[in-house]
Amino acid sequence: MYDLPHARSDVINSDCKISARNVQLYYGDNHAIKDVTANIADKTVTAFIGPSGCGKSTFLRCINRMNDTIDNARMEGTILLDGEDIYDSKVDPVQLRARVGMVFQKPNPFPKSIYDNVAYGPKIHGMVRNRSELDELVERALRRGAIWDELKDRLDEPGTGLSGGQQQRLCIARAIATEPEVLLMDEPCSALDPIATAQIEELIDELRQNYSVVIVTHSMQQAARVSQKTAFFHLGNLVEYADTGQIFTNPQDPRTESYITGRIG
Amino acid sequence: MPLSWILLVIFAIAAAGFWFGTSRVLKSVDQNVRALHSLPSYYGGNVSMWVLVPSLGVLAFWSLAQPLFIESRIAYLLEERMSNQGVTLGLMMTEVRRVADGLDSAVTENVMTTEEARSMRVELTDIRNRLAEVGVALGANVTAPIVHAAQQYHQLSATGNMFKSITVIALALAGLGYALLRTTKDFRARNAVERGILAILLFAAMIAIMTTVGILFSLIFNTLEFFKIYSIANFFFGLEWAPSFSGRGGSSSLSVIPLLWGTFYISIIALIVAVPVGIFSAIYLSEYATPKVRAFAKPLLEILAGIPTIVYGLFALLTVGPMLVTVFGDNTVGWMSGGTAVITAGLVMGIMLIPFVSSLSDDIINAVPQSLRDGSYGLGATQSETIRQVVLPAALPGIVGAILLAASRAIGETMIVVLGAGAAARLSLNPFDAMTTVTAKIVSQLTGDSDFASPEALVAFALGTTLFVLTLALNVLALYIVRRYREQYE
Repeated sequence: MYDLPHARSDVINSDCKISARNVQLYYGDNHAIKDVTANIADKTVTAFIGPSGCGKSTFLRCINRMNDTIDNARMEGTILLDGEDIYDSKVDPVQLRARVGMVFQKPNPFPKSIYDNVAYGPKIHGMVRNRSELDELVERALRRGAIWDELKDRLDEPGTGLSGGQQQRLCIARAIATEPEVLLMDEPCSALDPIATAQIEELIDELRQNYSVVIVTHSMQQAARVSQKTAFFHLGNLVEYADTGQIFTNPQDPRTESYITGRIG
Repeated sequence: MPLSWILLVIFAIAAAGFWFGTSRVLKSVDQNVRALHSLPSYYGGNVSMWVLVPSLGVLAFWSLAQPLFIESRIAYLLEERMSNQGVTLGLMMTEVRRVADGLDSAVTENVMTTEEARSMRVELTDIRNRLAEVGVALGANVTAPIVHAAQQYHQLSATGNMFKSITVIALALAGLGYALLRTTKDFRARNAVERGILAILLFAAMIAIMTTVGILFSLIFNTLEFFKIYSIANFFFGLEWAPSFSGRGGSSSLSVIPLLWGTFYISIIALIVAVPVGIFSAIYLSEYATPKVRAFAKPLLEILAGIPTIVYGLFALLTVGPMLVTVFGDNTVGWMSGGTAVITAGLVMGIMLIPFVSSLSDDIINAVPQSLRDGSYGLGATQSETIRQVVLPAALPGIVGAILLAASRAIGETMIVVLGAGAAARLSLNPFDAMTTVTAKIVSQLTGDSDFASPEALVAFALGTTLFVLTLALNVLALYIVRRYREQYE
């Protein structure tokens, strides 16, 4: 458990939001995540980097139990959210996902109006009592998603008709609307052009003030730009986890160094 | 030369052409395949194509045109000879054809020589006996002019067939020669064969389209014929269906409304049964069922779609009808007097449509991207919330298309109605009454001894056209909706 000397001290001392202990995950016989232990801080952007198939997205999906929807996935170990085990039988995964929002790789707006896309979460969780409260909530979410000014006059149009960058910001606004505590982002910019990417990155930086954000990315520049902490995954292991600056300037593990200098991955 | 022999010869020439073409081009480059523009088989294929296409085309055209040509010649001859005998030309032509066929088979079976067949004059008894030997019985009304015409017919078609064989085989050989001459190493045989394949595909597509157009025209002409002897207003706006079968005409009421009402009533009951059950089972199969259950249940459900509708008809007649009578019949509430009723046919038709709706809806629900479901789960929605609020709305246009396709099947269904709903055309709101539909009436108007010139028979074509237009409109609507849906995710 203490084979990660570089990941310890500063992470544990900070305000810890999520704490994963000895997490193992199997897809059938395939051991996808091998004994990962990590703490994720509140009001911080944490980036997961690593080559394809290293388990970073899988680990992300453990945090809001999205792997439950995959039939042959099996998890061991514990993940604590605010000190509470999210895999406890008392915890309803559906309720958990309202607290831990998720944004996906490909923008996936529902085939509904822009308004209904954002209102979807608040409606199913009964967060509002009447239409005017819902209007306010939708506006607040779209403003925080940095897309209100662009869309305020076309809330009745279908969300599928927007451009890729707008769709992704709409999906972020949709995730924010349920007022989660943690926001998980699975390669949120990989389907977007550089301009849309820059807008999303700016948005992620703003979101840090209210949420704990975890982002999986293939772009090391992106990890360096937006995150304060970076975790490097390789073949299902968490190899190194430290401040972003340290990972990119002074990596301790030779595998991390090879990856960020482009020799593996 | 009989047709099968001609075909055999042409295909033999084509096969030889393939071999010649391949070996000729290989010889021209000393077996060095790399020096050729195309693979050797393309050169052979090109030669075969040149043999087959022109000769088969001419053969098909000639075989269709020759009888038409001969018949018009003979008809002319007959008309000249006996315009005053009070027999219709059509009947006489039938007789002529029979005698000519008899002569043909007599010659091929060596009962008669060709000379005899041609020269035989007025010895009618003799001809009758000789033809009886080959199994052709001639009636008493066969007169000398008819025999003469038949001999002409026989002779013309024999000559025509001979020329046909010669022309077609000559064309095949000409194609062979021409294509072999063009077979050099630089000839782009691959591209030529490609164009040939394109032509075949185009031809196949044309056949499908032209057949549809042909069906439509045959319906339209007969429909126009019907409207010449029956008023359009009475057909579309009358309220009674009461054909008289005396054949005297004039007394029939032939209105489409009672039949359309029956069609719609039965179809609506069928859809009320099929749509909810079909969609719910599709949701279960695509969203909830484990792969094991699905692999077992889906084919089982689709078996229902493979049952012939006459079997459903028997099910309606023997099982569902009597069962409904025991529940709603005279012994209990007395709503239902007989097993054949709208509700019987509607229920059974609904069962028939379930796999149709569920299988199409299942495909459509499966086509909804997983990312939408993930998005909804990621916001903390349960599975049924996700299905109700995200998956179904996304799949709705496709499901509506599936329902419309099912509806057009329901409208066109016949056997279940014939056996399950009865034959009485009536305008009634009571689902326990016997009623009938457009399709069932088309069958009953055309079966039996009907005179094709009477309005009672011709009305079937008007009914057919009405039905065709209705189902076509439904199908177009369904395809339009389905296509709009497709655009969303591709």
